[in-house]
Amino acid sequence: MDSHAAGSSSGGSGDGGAPPRRNSRKPKYSKFTQQELPACKPILTPKWVVLVFLIVGVIFVPIGIVSLRASQQVVEIVDRYDDACVPAANENDKLAYIKNQTIPKTCNRTLTVTKDMKQPIFVYYQLDNFYQNHRRYVKSRNDGQLRDKSKASDTSNCDPEATVDGKPIIPCGLIAWSLFNDTYNLILNNKNLTVDKKDISWKSDREHKFGSHVFPSNFQKGRLQGGKILNSSIPLSEHEDLIVWMRTAALPTFRKLYGRIYVDLKVNDTITVQLENNYNTYSFGGKKKLVLSTTTWLGGKNDFLGLAYLTVGGLCFFLAFAFTLLYLIKPRKLGDNNYLSWNRPPVGRR
Amino acid sequence: MSARIKEMVRVATARLGGEQAGAGGASSSSGFGRRESTARLGGAGTSFRRQPQPMAPTVRTVYCNDRDANAPVGYKGNSVSTTKYSILTFLPKGLFEQFRRVANLYFLMISILSTTPISPVHPVTNVVPLSLVLLVSLIKEAFEDWKRFQNDMSINNAHVDILQGQHWESTPWKRLQVGDIVRIKQDGYFPADLLFLSSTNPDGVCYIETANLDGETNLKIRKALEKTWDFVNPEKASGFKGEVQCEQPNNSLYTFTGNLIVDKQTIPLSPNQLLLRGCSLRNTVYIIGAVIFTGHETKVMMNSMNVPSKRSTLEKKLDKLILALFATLFSMCVIGAIGSGVFINEKYFYLGLRGHVEDQFNPKNRFVVTILTMFTLITLYSTIIPISLYVSIEMIKFIQCTQFINNDLHMYHAESDTPALARTSNLNEELGQVEYIFSDKTGTLTRNLMEFFKCSIGGEMYGTGITEIEKGGAERAGIKIDDDEGKRSASAVHEKGFNFDDARLMRGAWRNESNPEACKEFFRCLAICHTVLPEGEETLEKISYQAASPDEAALVAAAKNFGFFFYRRTPTTVMVRESHVERMGSIQDVPYEILNVLEFNSTRKRQSVVCRFPNGRLVLYCKGADNVVYERLADGNHDMKKTSREHLEQFGSAGLRTLCLAYRDLNREQYESWNEKFVQAKSSLRDRDKKLDEVAELIEKDLILIGCTAIEDKLQEGVPACIETLSAAGIKIWVLTGDKMETAINIAYGEASIYLDFLVNNDTKQFIISSETDAIRETEDRGDPVEIARVIKDSVKQSLKVFHEEARHSLISTPERNLALIIDGRCLMYALDPTLRVDLLGLSLICHSVVCCRVSPLQKAQVTSLVKKGARKITLSIGDGANDVSMIQAAHVGIGISGQEGMQAVMASDFAIAQFRFLTDLLLVHGRWSYLRLCKVITYFFYKNLTFTLTQFWFTFQTGFSGQRFYDDWFQSLYNVIFTALPVIIVGLFDKDVSASLSKRYPQLYKEGIRNSFFKWRVIAVWGFFAFYQSIVFFYFTAAASRHGHSSSGKILGLWDVSTMAFSCVVVTVNLRLLMACNSITRWHYISVAGSIVAWFVFIFIYSAIMTSFDRQENVYFVIYVLMSTFFFYLTILLVPIIALFGDLLYLSIQRWLFPYDYQIIQEQHRDEPHEYSRVQLPETSHLSPEEARSYMISMLPRESSKHTGFAFDSPGYESFFASQQGVGVPHKAWDVARRASMKQQKAGKS
Repeated sequence: MDSHAAGSSSGGSGDGGAPPRRNSRKPKYSKFTQQELPACKPILTPKWVVLVFLIVGVIFVPIGIVSLRASQQVVEIVDRYDDACVPAANENDKLAYIKNQTIPKTCNRTLTVTKDMKQPIFVYYQLDNFYQNHRRYVKSRNDGQLRDKSKASDTSNCDPEATVDGKPIIPCGLIAWSLFNDTYNLILNNKNLTVDKKDISWKSDREHKFGSHVFPSNFQKGRLQGGKILNSSIPLSEHEDLIVWMRTAALPTFRKLYGRIYVDLKVNDTITVQLENNYNTYSFGGKKKLVLSTTTWLGGKNDFLGLAYLTVGGLCFFLAFAFTLLYLIKPRKLGDNNYLSWNRPPVGRR
Repeated sequence: MSARIKEMVRVATARLGGEQAGAGGASSSSGFGRRESTARLGGAGTSFRRQPQPMAPTVRTVYCNDRDANAPVGYKGNSVSTTKYSILTFLPKGLFEQFRRVANLYFLMISILSTTPISPVHPVTNVVPLSLVLLVSLIKEAFEDWKRFQNDMSINNAHVDILQGQHWESTPWKRLQVGDIVRIKQDGYFPADLLFLSSTNPDGVCYIETANLDGETNLKIRKALEKTWDFVNPEKASGFKGEVQCEQPNNSLYTFTGNLIVDKQTIPLSPNQLLLRGCSLRNTVYIIGAVIFTGHETKVMMNSMNVPSKRSTLEKKLDKLILALFATLFSMCVIGAIGSGVFINEKYFYLGLRGHVEDQFNPKNRFVVTILTMFTLITLYSTIIPISLYVSIEMIKFIQCTQFINNDLHMYHAESDTPALARTSNLNEELGQVEYIFSDKTGTLTRNLMEFFKCSIGGEMYGTGITEIEKGGAERAGIKIDDDEGKRSASAVHEKGFNFDDARLMRGAWRNESNPEACKEFFRCLAICHTVLPEGEETLEKISYQAASPDEAALVAAAKNFGFFFYRRTPTTVMVRESHVERMGSIQDVPYEILNVLEFNSTRKRQSVVCRFPNGRLVLYCKGADNVVYERLADGNHDMKKTSREHLEQFGSAGLRTLCLAYRDLNREQYESWNEKFVQAKSSLRDRDKKLDEVAELIEKDLILIGCTAIEDKLQEGVPACIETLSAAGIKIWVLTGDKMETAINIAYGEASIYLDFLVNNDTKQFIISSETDAIRETEDRGDPVEIARVIKDSVKQSLKVFHEEARHSLISTPERNLALIIDGRCLMYALDPTLRVDLLGLSLICHSVVCCRVSPLQKAQVTSLVKKGARKITLSIGDGANDVSMIQAAHVGIGISGQEGMQAVMASDFAIAQFRFLTDLLLVHGRWSYLRLCKVITYFFYKNLTFTLTQFWFTFQTGFSGQRFYDDWFQSLYNVIFTALPVIIVGLFDKDVSASLSKRYPQLYKEGIRNSFFKWRVIAVWGFFAFYQSIVFFYFTAAASRHGHSSSGKILGLWDVSTMAFSCVVVTVNLRLLMACNSITRWHYISVAGSIVAWFVFIFIYSAIMTSFDRQENVYFVIYVLMSTFFFYLTILLVPIIALFGDLLYLSIQRWLFPYDYQIIQEQHRDEPHEYSRVQLPETSHLSPEEARSYMISMLPRESSKHTGFAFDSPGYESFFASQQGVGVPHKAWDVARRASMKQQKAGKS
């Protein structure tokens, strides 16, 4: 029934019916248990609101200007060539063109330099509508196999490009299989520009993700050829194109680094690009672009950051001003009793 | 014989069948109600008003003292278990409980799904958090159940003497079996329902206290059958071989039917022979009983409802939010799935979709693709459901309970050394939303200690004290009253029942008053006109008074202190030691001959004594309720009547219980002619009570008013202020009292109005629904139960309709006017009928306060559920006795008053506090904070998971709806568990909008909880909107910032670089957003927020630096280092969080300025105040003020030994009620004062 049953109840002390205890059950005082921890109690007073906006504005606008300037210093030449490189005869059936091995794929493009470009100049290719981030695509690789010679036969996840005739493909999977295989040959003033293809991939990828003892085998031996054929006498860690390609892009429009040229370009220089238009983007309507770009401390051309900083900074100044106005137009005493719900008529309560 | 009873029952049941069906099977409640009705009419011993008995078709047969004979039936043992689980059922039942939560069930499903190939994530991501959640919850459940188990064990292992052969043997309660003969010693508890066989008292009676059952502390008598009186010692008892045939176990506390077959003789049994488990034995050395019902079959156990597992309203609302999230999730998945069906195409040759492709990506069957992608996406977006939410909430609540509530020094009661105790940790935030409080009265609001406090004699008012209610009123009016308790004249007498001080009366000083004769009459009336028995040594200090009600004892004690010391009673005389009467300092013993006693009953509401002074003077002394006495006063002396009336009103409004005293001088002829009639009436066999009442009317007239007394049913300290505060907080307080009105000679609703007085202002319109109307009484006199029921029901229906109408008018015309509803238990029974329920609810919700008198435990529960279910308001019940248990369990939150005798209420409660006034702290501080914090925690969880999942969702659009995950598996699983887990718990523990003292100073702040201001759909929508906004910022801004993004070395970032960058932004933002939502920021906030952000970076530094031999995709290998080598990573991580928080800041500023919450205004008002450490200056010492010490001493007075025997004012008492119920001619009122007095004398003479 209750614990009193155990013994004679001893009046008001204790609840257990036990004889009055000498040691008190009084809780010990501590700031924690009494919920009196020292605390700062920020209140968003008008002063603070305006101040915060001003501070953000003051910080953001300069950053915005600097970033925008940096982005603007970048010189970028973009040339879309997928359509242009299809011969007129094949205009109507680009797919047939690209699939037909017999048609020569060489194509010449002429680029005019719009501004002086300081070396190094980066050569990128840009693909469009190419879902490197598709789930089926992203998982279609085997990192163990890429890294470790002993795991050569481990082709899990690599379907449908895992094996050919029962033999494991190295590197397996759709990503490697669909390796981009257009090539660019840049000519300035009838002189070949050497495209440096070393160190176009991240060092960490090169050294840790792709083994220096792993060699391509059975690659592109399947019924269909997806892309570039790798030289099976060179280890994977030196196939930098592959390494770049296999760092899958986040968005369906992406650029990949093709190489670098160490030549300064002048305004109105014309560059002739001899390219091998091998890669099939026609089947899914993807665009192919060639990009020449310089970089600054911020990277490539991207006005976004600068604009965003500027906009936000500007907005902050505006809001600081707007709030000042608000506080002047609709003033209210801090802690005004009339704003308490019980001092207000019942309507309009939020 | 048995057949006869059954037949009787059958007839009675048939007659009342319809009504009983209407009562909804609440057999106990109807039983109680009838008890009232019969009680009132109890006098008519000859009228056979039998009540229907709940009678199971079969009969239980118990062979006493014969275990073997009982064995075949297999009665249940006497051990009780109140635990939720056993070792075997713990896992399945506990898991079942856990999976009742939608979120847990969902995650179980997701975990199963994620083991299939369609899952984009590794199963560990979902299984680990789920198991963690379940583990923590189960451990908590097990811990709580273990405590319950230990409590059960201590009860089950309590010892009782059981008859083994020829001697007593101490046995644990749990070993007890049906049929055993047991011995219970004084002050012991009955271990089971016992058949009372014999006692050490003469006449086979014993006294029991039923405080554990119904909260009544006055003693009840039980009387054994004469046949069994002799079985007092073990030798004789061992020879007892009886057979008991009785009803099957049921929950009706006040009924019992059965037969005892002993020596081939069948004797009917009544409730008079039944000793219920949980009651305790008083004033009796020991009794012998036979066990009839054991363990869970005892009436008290059957009467207590199953312990419901309560869930807080917030949590239920949370389920709705989770469902809304499911809906969101579902629509997201549908969009994604349809997209995937449309997208998938062989043309994307690089996806290798030619030839044999698994179903999920097979463009030849887009429908299957859609369906499967659906599941993929469900798994992918599962983070939208905050899995760690429940664990976090449980952890927060647990710490709130164990650390904050249990340790709050403000809720520690020094006098009884009782801290507050949270018994469940589920309901903290419910405390912040309570709208209705149902309070028991005696022992909860009051201390159940009556003290003579003031009086008015001959139109002069005496007494200098100030009641709690007056203090409350003065505080309300802003008047400062000196707490003069300490300063009162040192000579003031303080003793139990007497708390009066006025130099004009004390120590014979009354002789110098203007009207010493009136004073003399007044004191004599107090000393003579009562039915108290003195006990102990006949000295001023040592004597103690036995009285049914503490009121009576208080009055006699008062007379003693005024110099009229009543010290002895014989059957015919009352001995009074009078001091200062003739001259100061003289003492003489005066015997007053008591000629007649006209006893109290509820209709008369007065009590009279005719006595003869030693000098031959014949006087009738009368005391009673004011209206009754005033009706019978002689003409003349209008001034005095008027002033006395004013005094009565004054007393009444001060919350005192008043009585009027009057006398009448009689001459001999007058008296003798009347006495003849009286004797005649007394000896009549039919309608004796009625006749006695009529005769009494003849002599109780032409009275002369002496004055009136005022007794304080001392309120607990701080109760008025507490109620004041709670009403200001928008909480409505209902008083449900089980008290019988008859126990106090008072106007039927006097008490109630006292409480109303501080519940509401004086300008209160009262609606009284009473069963004490003339029409009902008339019908009762005719005595047809069906008719009575009909009449009462009609009248209740009528009043409800009328009052409802009136109340509505009043609400419109004078909205500031307070309305109060007062209803008694009997009417309530009908008002709770399904047909009238709506009206009752409507009326009572309009009323500001409601008082229900004389309600049964079950009715208390019914009223509570009426409001809980009918009005869908959050209810809280508070009580101290076992009679409050059902109410405590029925309400959303049950609170028990601890630190007193009896733990039933505490055992059933969710929180236990020592004093009613601690409710202020419990509700306004802890409750409000808990509510606020949990709302914040829940909405924040909602926000952070939605934000996180929506970024994922936006990414889906960029992946051809393939369900590719944006984040690494570990990011996703640790997001909730590590990177955002701790700060929110810190907020759940430490966030304070305003300090505790301000919470109490501005109780109106509590209304924000009642309105549920912080967990409305609007609030959630705002968070949802910002989650939406932020997720867009996170995904698109990071994507845009890294678009074509090359580093200065010209190298390109990939998917995982972008996602890691986005994730960093999310973690930073979400943590900072929490800081923005805080009202008070302690260093723990800083530590946890900074810690979480740092934890993320530490994690990613380590995680991306290592290559494991495990089979995992090395997606994020070195990612963070790559990112850190670029400039725009830093620019992005500065830009994105600030843009994301931009909107929130804007919103918060505007909201605060234009539509501030109440608490924000209060914050602003007190913004310059230093951190309050004011609470540090608590009464640290255990030193008690004199007043505290005094009340402590009084509370420590052993109540058990205050031997009230429950006669004087208990006229419609237990036995007569049962007698009339049985229809058996048990002589009723055999125990009148005179006879008892004589018995005592005999006893004294013998010893």
